[in-house]
Formats: sequence, C-alpha cells, structure tokens
Amino acid sequence: MQRLILLLFAFSFKAAAAQELYVFTEPASNMAAKSIGLRANNYLMFNKSTKETNYHLVPEVMWGLSKKIMIHAEAFLSNRNNSFVAEGGGAYIKYRFYSVDEVHSHFRMALYGRYSFNNSDVHQQVIDLIGHNSGYEGGLVATKLKNKVAVSASASYLYAEDNYKEKFIYGNKNRHAVNYTASIGKLMLPKEYSSYKQTNVNLMLEMLGQVNLNTGYSFLDIAPSVQFIFLSRMRIDAGYRIPLVKDLSRTTPGGFLVRLEYNIFNAY
Amino acid sequence: MKNLIIIALVLFSFTANAQVKGVTIQASGLTCSMCSNSIFKALQKLDFVDKVDANIKTSSFEISFKPNAVVDFDKLKAKVEDAGFFVANFTVTYNFNALAIANDKHINVGNTVFHFLNVKGGVLSGEKKIRFLDKGFVSAKEFKKNSSLTKMACYKTGKELEKRIFHVTI
Repeated sequence: MQRLILLLFAFSFKAAAAQELYVFTEPASNMAAKSIGLRANNYLMFNKSTKETNYHLVPEVMWGLSKKIMIHAEAFLSNRNNSFVAEGGGAYIKYRFYSVDEVHSHFRMALYGRYSFNNSDVHQQVIDLIGHNSGYEGGLVATKLKNKVAVSASASYLYAEDNYKEKFIYGNKNRHAVNYTASIGKLMLPKEYSSYKQTNVNLMLEMLGQVNLNTGYSFLDIAPSVQFIFLSRMRIDAGYRIPLVKDLSRTTPGGFLVRLEYNIFNAY
Repeated sequence: MKNLIIIALVLFSFTANAQVKGVTIQASGLTCSMCSNSIFKALQKLDFVDKVDANIKTSSFEISFKPNAVVDFDKLKAKVEDAGFFVANFTVTYNFNALAIANDKHINVGNTVFHFLNVKGGVLSGEKKIRFLDKGFVSAKEFKKNSSLTKMACYKTGKELEKRIFHVTI
C-alpha cells in the first residue's frame, strides 16, 4: 500500500511543477503583511510500544508583521499521558531576506527561528520542538517556484533544553541536532484559473530528516500529502509520515497530520 | 479668497489636462490563487480605490477609482509588496486633453510630475496608456536596463528637490 502511494506520487511529479504551501515544512515566502492565519494542526501518531494512537492538537496563530517578517504562536496539547492536557507552547519567526521575482516564478531565501517550552515527560532521543521538547532552533530555507511547481530545502540547528518538569535524560552532548528537509509541491487543479472560488488541489512530497550531532544517529521520513484550498483562503491539508531511516529512537515514528487553516487577508 | 481661487484653478487645470481613468498592475512572483487573493484584498483596502478586477491567470489587477479621488501610485505599489510580491508592470490609463510632451523632460500634469522617457514627443489627446518605469514599478532587471534612457539623477531616486517624479513611457 505504501509503495503504491509512493508510485502514484512519483508519477504525478514526472511532469514537474507545484505550489509551496507545504504541509510539513514552511517555505521561504511569508504570508501577506497585516494578514492573520488560524490553524488547527492535528497529529495522529502511532505509538509503537503501547500500540496506542497519540493525538496532538497544535492550535496556531500566524501573523504577517511586515512584508518580510512573519510570526507564529502555537500551543501544544496531547493525550500522550492518558488524559488530554495542555503541555506547552512555542513561537516561530521567519525573515525573508532575499527575493528575485518574475511573472509566475520566484526564488526566495529566509532565516527562521523557533522557541518552544514543554512540561511533558522527555521520552525519546529525537528532538521535536513541536509538542515534545523545550528548546530552540535556527535555520535557513530556500524556495524556488516556477509556474505550477515549487521546490524547497531547509537546514536548521536544534538545541534541546530540559523540559519544565523533567531533565533531558539522554546526556548533555546529545542535546544538539540538525534538521534538514526537501519538499516539492505541484498544483494539480484547477488546470486554468478563472476565479477565487475555484478549489485548488496541490500534491506535496517531503523528506524530513534529523541527525544528532553527537551520536550521528539519524531519522529520515518521506511524507506525501494532499492539500485543498477553498475560496482562496481556507486550507485542508492531509499528510502521512513514513519512516525510511530509523537509527534515532522515536516513540511515534509514523502517523497522520490533518490541518485546517483559515486566512484573513488585510485583517487590519 | 485669492488663495481659494488659485486652488480652484489648480484643481481645474488638473482635471482639465489629464484624468486618471484606471490602473492595471501585473504582479510578479506568484502563481496560486491564495497569493493573488492576498493582493486583491490589500488593494481593495485603499480608500481611493473603487473596484478591483483580478485576473488570476495573468496575475494582473485592473483598478478603478472613486470619483475625484487623488490616486496615490506609490501606495498601490506598496500594497503589492506588502503582500509579499513585486510589481512587474504598472500602466495608467489617462484621459488627456492636449498635453504637450517631450522626451527626457519633466512635464507637469496637475500636481504630478512625469518624466517622459523613450518617447517621440508631441501632443497627447484622448484616452492613452502610460507605463511607469520607476524602481519597484518594473522588474529589477528592467529598471537597470532602462537606466540608459536618461542621464538625470531623478531616475535613480524618483525625486527632484524632494518632489516625487514618476518616470513613464508610452
């Protein structure tokens, strides 16, 4: 089944061209200044030891502060420890510093940073600042868009702090890691634009990896996803993470991400 | 009273020798309808804008204005940039009433100063489109290329003695 999904994606990308509103990563582009976006990120992750499904809800507010800077604020809630509770929050900032645009194409680069705090237990060697670890991250992302296809790549440094109640138990040397991603997206529908009311369908394929800078252990996932955009302001994303390399231990290696997003352009 | 008459005369002369009928902006750097919508919504927010017609396929926006409103071209450009994109083409449709123009010369059109480039000169009458060549109103590549059209410093700064100069062609 997994092979079939991958084959389907490989086939659809042969024509090569897509969009950059990726599901698992952020592009180098920002949202419009004075715009506000609201997101509900729902992660359904499969816990391989307890055989349970962990549900993480990450409500997120996005704000276009200026044409070059945008900010996200998010909260982390989950049922990982039986009851569904709030476990922390995070902030993300992105600064677009380079942009070469032509009609129907662009190349952009941005710097980004994230800070997260979390009061849940420390339960895996992997550093995950979205709902698991306290810590910070800083990185660079580059995105190229041409007609219906967009490709993007990012690399970032991560540092795991102690969580609010618990120490990072895997040793001080293992607090440092590098995340790297590669993404491609393609606009499938509509074939030709005529109105803002047309539903857009994008297909994405992303590679998501992490290397621990001390041990050299890593994970690498492949994550296909589909995205629907309604009325040029609402988004529904559905993606699935499939682990390919699993040297670095994770409690929940694979699972779904379902995101609902609503954008208010020129909100004030 | 005298001042009032002068103001009235200035206003009258402005409407008399040229009137803005509409602006067409083509934006660059986008392909998706959500991006186009963010520009569309931003342009609609300007108080002098009456109506915006968007063509998502070509990333262009046809803008009409409220009667007697003063059209701020720089604000239109800024809205496209605030949405995260750039202007590739900025064309203004004017209704001219016998406006004499000359190449590489500053011409007063009411309160606006135009610096005509790459034109033959002559008299403009009736509905005509003029294309803006200023920094940010064309692609960075084209702005560089057009710098050979004039030796005057205002091309680079967009200003002369603090007065905004728009560089245009037909």
